[in-house]
Amino acid sequence: MNRLCNMEPRVMDDEMLKLAVGEQGLRDEARQLAKQEGILFKDVLSLQLDFQNILRIDNLWQFENLQKLQLDNNIIEKIEGLENLTRLVRLDLSFNNIEAIEGLNTLVNLEDLSLFNNRISKIDSLDALVKLQVLSLGNNQIGNMMNIIYLRRFKDLRTLSLSGNPVAEAEDYRTFICAYLPDLVYLDFRRIDDHMKELAEMKHQCSVDELKHQESLMQAQLEDQQARWEELEGQKAAFVEHLNGPFLFDSMYAEDVEGSQLSHLPGVGELVQTYKDKFVIICQNIFKFGLKQQEKRKAELDTFMGCVQEAVQEKQEQGKHKIAKFEEKHLLMLSSIRDESELTNFEIKMAEHSEDITELVSVLMTLEMQLVEQLEETINMFERNIIDLVGLFVENVQSLMAQCRDLENHHHEKLLEIAISTREKIIKGELDEDLPDAVRLLFVDKDTIVNAVGASHDIHLLKIDNREDELVTRVNSWCTHLVDKIHKDEIMRNRRRVKEINQYVDHVQSELDSLECSDLLD
Amino acid sequence: EVLKEKVEEEEEAERAERAERAERAEKMMRPMEVRKEDTTRTQEMLRDLERKLSEIEVSIPEKSSTFTKDAIDTSKLPLSYQSNTPKEEHLLQVADNFSRQYSHLCPDRVPLFLYPVNECNVPKFVSTTIRPTLMPYPELYNWDTCAQFVSDFLSAVPLPDPLKPPSYLYSSTMVLKYQEGNCFDFSTLLCSMLLGAGYDAYCVYGYGSQDLCHMDLTREVCPLTMKPKEVVKEEEKAPPKKYAVKPPRDLTSRFEREQEIKRQEGVKAEEEKRLKQGERLAEQESAKTDPLHGLRVHSWVLVLSGKREVPESFFIDPFTARSYSTQDDHFLGIESLWNHKNYWVNMQDCWNCCKDLVFDLGDPVRWEYLLLETDKPLLSLTEEEDDGTNDDDDAENLGKEDEDKSFDMPCSWVEQIEISPEAFETRCPNGKKVIQYKRARLEKWAPYLNNNGLVCRLTTYEDLECTKILEIKEWFQNREDMLELKHINKVTGLNIDYFKPGHPQALRAHSYTSMQPEMDRVMEFYEKVRVDGLIKREETPRTMTEYYQGRPDLLSYRHVNFGPRTKKLALNSAESNPRPVVKITERFFRNPAKPADEDVAERVFLILDERIQLRYHCREDHLTASKREFLWRTEGDSKGNKIIMTPDMCLSFEVEPMEHTKKLLYQYEAMMKLKNEEKLARHQAWESELEVLEILKLREEEEAAHALTISIYDTKRNEKSKEYREAMERMMHEEHLWQAEAQLDYLAPFLAQLPPGEKLTRWQAMRLKDECLSDFKQRLIDKANLIQARFEKETQELQKQQQWYQENQVTLTPEDEDLYLSYCSQAMFRIRVMEQRLNRHKELAPLKYLALEEKLYKDPRLVELLKVFV
Repeated sequence: MNRLCNMEPRVMDDEMLKLAVGEQGLRDEARQLAKQEGILFKDVLSLQLDFQNILRIDNLWQFENLQKLQLDNNIIEKIEGLENLTRLVRLDLSFNNIEAIEGLNTLVNLEDLSLFNNRISKIDSLDALVKLQVLSLGNNQIGNMMNIIYLRRFKDLRTLSLSGNPVAEAEDYRTFICAYLPDLVYLDFRRIDDHMKELAEMKHQCSVDELKHQESLMQAQLEDQQARWEELEGQKAAFVEHLNGPFLFDSMYAEDVEGSQLSHLPGVGELVQTYKDKFVIICQNIFKFGLKQQEKRKAELDTFMGCVQEAVQEKQEQGKHKIAKFEEKHLLMLSSIRDESELTNFEIKMAEHSEDITELVSVLMTLEMQLVEQLEETINMFERNIIDLVGLFVENVQSLMAQCRDLENHHHEKLLEIAISTREKIIKGELDEDLPDAVRLLFVDKDTIVNAVGASHDIHLLKIDNREDELVTRVNSWCTHLVDKIHKDEIMRNRRRVKEINQYVDHVQSELDSLECSDLLD
Repeated sequence: EVLKEKVEEEEEAERAERAERAERAEKMMRPMEVRKEDTTRTQEMLRDLERKLSEIEVSIPEKSSTFTKDAIDTSKLPLSYQSNTPKEEHLLQVADNFSRQYSHLCPDRVPLFLYPVNECNVPKFVSTTIRPTLMPYPELYNWDTCAQFVSDFLSAVPLPDPLKPPSYLYSSTMVLKYQEGNCFDFSTLLCSMLLGAGYDAYCVYGYGSQDLCHMDLTREVCPLTMKPKEVVKEEEKAPPKKYAVKPPRDLTSRFEREQEIKRQEGVKAEEEKRLKQGERLAEQESAKTDPLHGLRVHSWVLVLSGKREVPESFFIDPFTARSYSTQDDHFLGIESLWNHKNYWVNMQDCWNCCKDLVFDLGDPVRWEYLLLETDKPLLSLTEEEDDGTNDDDDAENLGKEDEDKSFDMPCSWVEQIEISPEAFETRCPNGKKVIQYKRARLEKWAPYLNNNGLVCRLTTYEDLECTKILEIKEWFQNREDMLELKHINKVTGLNIDYFKPGHPQALRAHSYTSMQPEMDRVMEFYEKVRVDGLIKREETPRTMTEYYQGRPDLLSYRHVNFGPRTKKLALNSAESNPRPVVKITERFFRNPAKPADEDVAERVFLILDERIQLRYHCREDHLTASKREFLWRTEGDSKGNKIIMTPDMCLSFEVEPMEHTKKLLYQYEAMMKLKNEEKLARHQAWESELEVLEILKLREEEEAAHALTISIYDTKRNEKSKEYREAMERMMHEEHLWQAEAQLDYLAPFLAQLPPGEKLTRWQAMRLKDECLSDFKQRLIDKANLIQARFEKETQELQKQQQWYQENQVTLTPEDEDLYLSYCSQAMFRIRVMEQRLNRHKELAPLKYLALEEKLYKDPRLVELLKVFV
């Protein structure tokens, strides 16, 4: 880069920014106003800071609504300090000394990015820029053709410039880009004609197809994952995730050392298998029931929301109608009062209109109060129903869980029996099979074996209890949360409406008062 | 001889009787005794009678019609028209037998209508006159259009005797040719067409009301004036939802409400009653009782349910093409009915018109059939009664069955019914038809008959006598300006023109009282065609309202108030002196991309007050919308400084106060923008006014020109396509000629020298080839010589001329010189052409020679023999 730093690097301070903001293409009168009032950085939409010898981007955090930022022809070495400018659409960083693309991860609205004439050697870290349409990377040091494949992810990219890079000297540079970025319209400031496209397609079809295939595989995988995740989410919303299979059963045995040791005993394997089958069936039942209940709850909620929406809408329409009517009258009244010359008449009319306003207030408030009453009733009804539903669900789940526990108890008894009989056999020396040493150790005396079986049983029961508790607490908390939210929303709605009415009436009243004032002044 | 005389007498008497009946139709005064006295008449009396008869015939209104027997050249009709086949003879005998039995069994009933004579005076059985034909026009596939066509196409002639069926029944081809007929002709033709289209249709001979027989619709309401019944869709009330809120308690008195409703209903009922009474009185006055009620013969068409998805049997009156239910009051009785297969006589009592008739033709008690059919149309299940009811019937049936068992109806003697496309398009005789309805008059014309494209006019009157015109509706077709319907309301003076898509200004409808600009008018447009998405523009003298749809700026409505025109610019014309705009109101649809507080719903430019009012869209969950009002003052403040912006220039109400909108800069910029918008809006209003003027001008031009469009497929009317077609035909012809030439056999002259039929030897083939080639060579040389000779001749001529010119150069007049020069240039041109042709010939000759040789080698006749040498 042959830009000589014959000036001191400057710091982006408030003064510089204010100056820049003040110079935003305003005409005389507007500028006068701007000077008079000052401009908040928050309201600035575009900012031009070129040829300022800036070394470091700084102090831009106030420009929340900035859409266009020009920082070209400076000596910036690193992209930073742009995190807050999430509304940014255009960013110009050309003619700087930037070496790597970074710090752009929050600029999701960016459409036009210029990094012309920098020292970038790799296209990278642009993942967040999903809306990117124009990318200018000319006069950089990009040398690897594979950088272009990275650009395939930007579906809206239409304009790209890469001339002046080592890549651009390659023989098949243009065809390569055209083939790999088929949606591109302009490359290096020139339109890509159809002939070029055909040529590129012919030349690189094989590799592009391969790439496409890989991409589609990836895509499919991603989608698959997404679908699975969504399904799990749905199950979680129904509070029965991981119950449509042997997950719970497996988790019971996962931490159960003794249980797995005991499964080596003769006959235990089969026992565990039948136990598992039965257990899984019950789990499946819980799962199905849970999904069904979830649907029911959802339908209930939907009808409730729909009804509430309808009721609110209806009252809103009525209110709007009333206001529209009033507004007509209001305008007429205002003009007639304005034209009134006689004081007595004037006062009479003023009083009349004030009365009108109070009437409007009372009408609107009545409507609102009606709505509040109606909604309260409905909400209470819904609350009762949803609590009932949840109660039913919990009860059923509990009974099913109890079945699980019964199974476990049953299994435990059987296991104990087998263990004791095995021990007897061992004592008698009748045991045919070889047992692992760790298992043999358990049969040292009766207490040990009974304890082992008991421990296994305890773990199993604990797991079942935990799952049940989790489910019940979650569903209950969901329920209370929902009901709370509905109540809160309703209160908020009511407050907002009352505030709105008051605000409006204040406004109307102030209009009327201002007439009075002006009249008195006259 | 006496006997013979008597027979003659009888015949004459019969004729007289017929004539008298005809006369009765006219006068209704002649006594009826003639019948009884006929045997005592003498020859002179007969002559006298005959004379009278001829007199009577003259007075019969038949003279108005061109369609009399004399006018028909029967000799040119096909043979089937002029004679009967043996089968038909047999059928006639059967019919005769049937009718005799019938008159014997039912002596009190009128004779049947079985075998009237046709146009060639040959008796033909009525069923054979029906010729089921499917018309090649898709429009004629359904019964309603079919009936409409018949009623339009033919003009009705009353029966010679309204109390008797006619003695003749002409073929449908004849009826179509003369476009005229009585009700029997009508129903025969219609029945033929309906049967062809697959309906279960029958011709009916029966009795109709006077209105029906005289095709009198003056007591009927015109179907076009009837408003289509509004289909009241009962909105399905959604079942009350579980959480629907309870309505607030209603505190008004229910009793009072009920009383109020009762009272209103009473008032309404009374009013209706009064109206009805008035109507009835008026109708009674107009309807005179008919002395011949129930005796007037009429023929119509019965369509039975079952085929072509006809759900219920109905009658069609062929005169008016209207359909009636079988219970209608107009139809007073049925004697018999027939289709192309059989003939049925009604045995049911018609005391209650046709209301009690059962159209179960398979029931022999109710319907006596002529031929035993293999496929009875309907099988009656309730035949238990008929065992003991009528022995005669049974006996008759038995006898007939024996007789007719192996007999079915012969084919129709009528030629194929054909309607030419021209006739089909012209429809009505002379392309014109007038129908008088109750308080309405309908006129129809064929397309292209009127040069302004008028095809139909409906005039509605206020009173029954049709003197006060209420409104006129005119339908047009093939107009270049796409005018479809003109609706003129004579009471209000309002005209509405409706257009089909395709008007140059995308007009859909235009309602106006006068064509002067700046008056009350409404123009509707096809908004999809228009770039600006204008749907409707309403105008009153002082306002103009425009409705838009589908604009990118979401403008939906613009209302412009005009002030009175200023006087001082009176010198200029109206166009350059637009009325001052006082107020412009614009409304916008909600733009979902913007928050409601920034999306303007309505803006009002009060131009005289220098004020702009903005009203924003309402937020979804709010009752009130933001408002803003800008006033600007152009004068300076007390110190003389120019005021840019002060807080009191912008009054605003915000639903949710925001910070940045309070800034003067923001307000200033908004105001500047609005000022620009105001300019634009004023310009738009001005342009709209101009457009109205333009459209009015265009409409006037179109009305004056009323050009008609002609489809490019319409080969008869479209001159261009005709020319093109002819050119194409000519080309085809030439092509054909050329091809014929190309197929000339070059070997033929040489082959002719050889003995015919023999196979060629190789030597012969060789010689043939050589001869052919040498001949061709000679011809090529000859041609070259010919060209050369001509060339030389031309050159000599030129030289001669040049010499002559050289000699007489001095004495030549300028004209002669011109002549000479032009000759020279022409000659030179000819010489050059000749030279070129020679050169070209020289070039091509060897090629041609080679080509012929090649061809000869490939010639199928020689190829075998010459193969060896190639």
